[in-house]
Amino acid sequence: MKTITIDPITRLEGHGKITIFLDSHGDVENAYLQIPELRGFEKFAEGRRAEDMPQITSRICGVCPVAHHFAATKALDAAFHVDPPVAAKKLRELLNCGYIIYDHILHFYFLGGPDFVVGPEAPAAKRNILGVIEKAGLDVAKDVIKHRAYGQKITAILGGKATHPVCGLPGGVSKGLSKDEVKEIKDMATSCNTFAKFSLNLFDDIVLKNKAYVDLIRSDPYTLKTYNMGLVDKHNKVNFYDGLIRVTDQEANQLEKFDVKDYTKHIAERVEEWSYMKYPYLKTIGWQGLTDGKKSGIYRVGPLGRLNAADGMATPQAENEYKRMFDTLGGKPVNSTLAFHWARLIELLYATERAKELIEDADITSTHIRNPVGTPGEGIGVVEAARGTLIHHYHVDKNGLIEKANMIVATTNNAGAITMSVRDAAKGVIHKGQVTDGLLNKVEMAFRAYDPCFGCATHTLPGGLPMKVNIYDHAKKLYRTFSQP
Amino acid sequence: MKTIVLGVGNPILQDDGVGLHVIDALRQRMNNPMVTLETASTGGMNLLDMIRGYEKVILIDAVKQMDIAPGIVKRFLLSDFQTVHSCNPHDVSLSEALRLAEQLGEKYLPSKIILIGITVNNTYEFGEHLSNEVASAVPTAVSLVLEELKNS
Repeated sequence: MKTITIDPITRLEGHGKITIFLDSHGDVENAYLQIPELRGFEKFAEGRRAEDMPQITSRICGVCPVAHHFAATKALDAAFHVDPPVAAKKLRELLNCGYIIYDHILHFYFLGGPDFVVGPEAPAAKRNILGVIEKAGLDVAKDVIKHRAYGQKITAILGGKATHPVCGLPGGVSKGLSKDEVKEIKDMATSCNTFAKFSLNLFDDIVLKNKAYVDLIRSDPYTLKTYNMGLVDKHNKVNFYDGLIRVTDQEANQLEKFDVKDYTKHIAERVEEWSYMKYPYLKTIGWQGLTDGKKSGIYRVGPLGRLNAADGMATPQAENEYKRMFDTLGGKPVNSTLAFHWARLIELLYATERAKELIEDADITSTHIRNPVGTPGEGIGVVEAARGTLIHHYHVDKNGLIEKANMIVATTNNAGAITMSVRDAAKGVIHKGQVTDGLLNKVEMAFRAYDPCFGCATHTLPGGLPMKVNIYDHAKKLYRTFSQP
Repeated sequence: MKTIVLGVGNPILQDDGVGLHVIDALRQRMNNPMVTLETASTGGMNLLDMIRGYEKVILIDAVKQMDIAPGIVKRFLLSDFQTVHSCNPHDVSLSEALRLAEQLGEKYLPSKIILIGITVNNTYEFGEHLSNEVASAVPTAVSLVLEELKNS
């Protein structure tokens, strides 16, 4: 058996790798994604002051600090038995919109988009934002940078600090908005809304009008029929900040809808010997291994999971785009992994519309932004991170110290699905031992669609290791090595 | 020369945070109005925002290489790193961010970027403390930064 290893996805050696096993014909027998999990969070959290958790957990990952901040803050609301004032909830939701705006822009233009704009088999050196500029032009790039920065600025104004917010407290937030700040955010949100519409048009022009891309999106190797999960409001519309967790099946029917406080009744985690990752699955369905279909409890979260799990979007422009996507791709649910990119842009549009609604809301300048806390106990909080459902769970003792902590992060929720998507893409593109950089990129595209954030270190040196691909023969001897600059 | 010394890392992933520890140590040693000491737990595009407007940048960060023991301090230039690949799955590397900024015709980009890298070991387990090998490399990194500042 030959073994191909795609290694590593990030700058840290051993941080993540894809191993592909070839059979004697050179076709793919199986493929695995392996990611070392960060260890010891529970122990690290024990004995700490509960109110420090929003700051501490926002450092877990350099990618979704805002989502961790609010999952932690909401877990503390529950643990201290306090319901924040309406204005505080709206301020938090607005901040979360800013985060979705910059995060989704970054993914589409810097990470996922280049595969389409520049081409899935283009040289790796071109498949990045610089290649996008070459194709789309400098003015587009300037707009990308500007609106990503606007999203960041909105979170910085509301959060009190760039990147890592410090505003979330049990029972509310520490900072309201001034009239000047309202004006500034309103202008930025309006501009982001125009940019979101532009981005959807760009997606139309570059992807949807290109038959080869549409065929690629709808092809079998990029199709997975799992359950879908996401937070919904009381009308079953997508919500990033609050609501119930809804799960829908392969026919888009509701399987279950539950409050996050009951998550342990609905979600279990499978441990596999060959991986550090845990694989969550639906308890009512059960674990059948890494397989899709109705009998397998594996589900998807994130942009496509959320849109599939809901009945629509709560804002008019996004609702139109939502309908258009499902109409175009053959109705609900859409099981095409690469449609995550489209769903992400629809969510970007929603986040800008919702930000505009919130900033125009009379409550947003209220000074009643915190309620007094009660006696501490157990608390569970949930938000939608850009990449999916994120749950924090704390037990707090009578002195306000953490006794026990647990979390399920978005990428973990997607672990089973990502692993299957990588395997299926490898099976679909690698035949008779023919492996090229372009084909391997098509395998990477399968996990890139999910925008996974591996629990990761935050820094940049040495700026990303080159991608390495090792191919072993059936005697497991290395006979060929690929590397990309 | 308007200079920023920027320690990069994650404060709760043990050795990963060594850049932050070096900044702490530097704060005890110096007070120069022309030099900004700063820390960051973030990646490419956000780092670009932080260094814009400075003429010289000294970055301090953890470096992980399989074949080098932890606790070794080395000076690099940004151009030593050829790749423009992502530094984590959801960001760009600083060199990619800088090339982007250059292409967009941005002014106020630093003319000189020096990297001080410290090789590390344990970055997969939560904790606020450095391993002994890496902790003992902090004074060496501090001296290297001070030396570098003399040349400004």
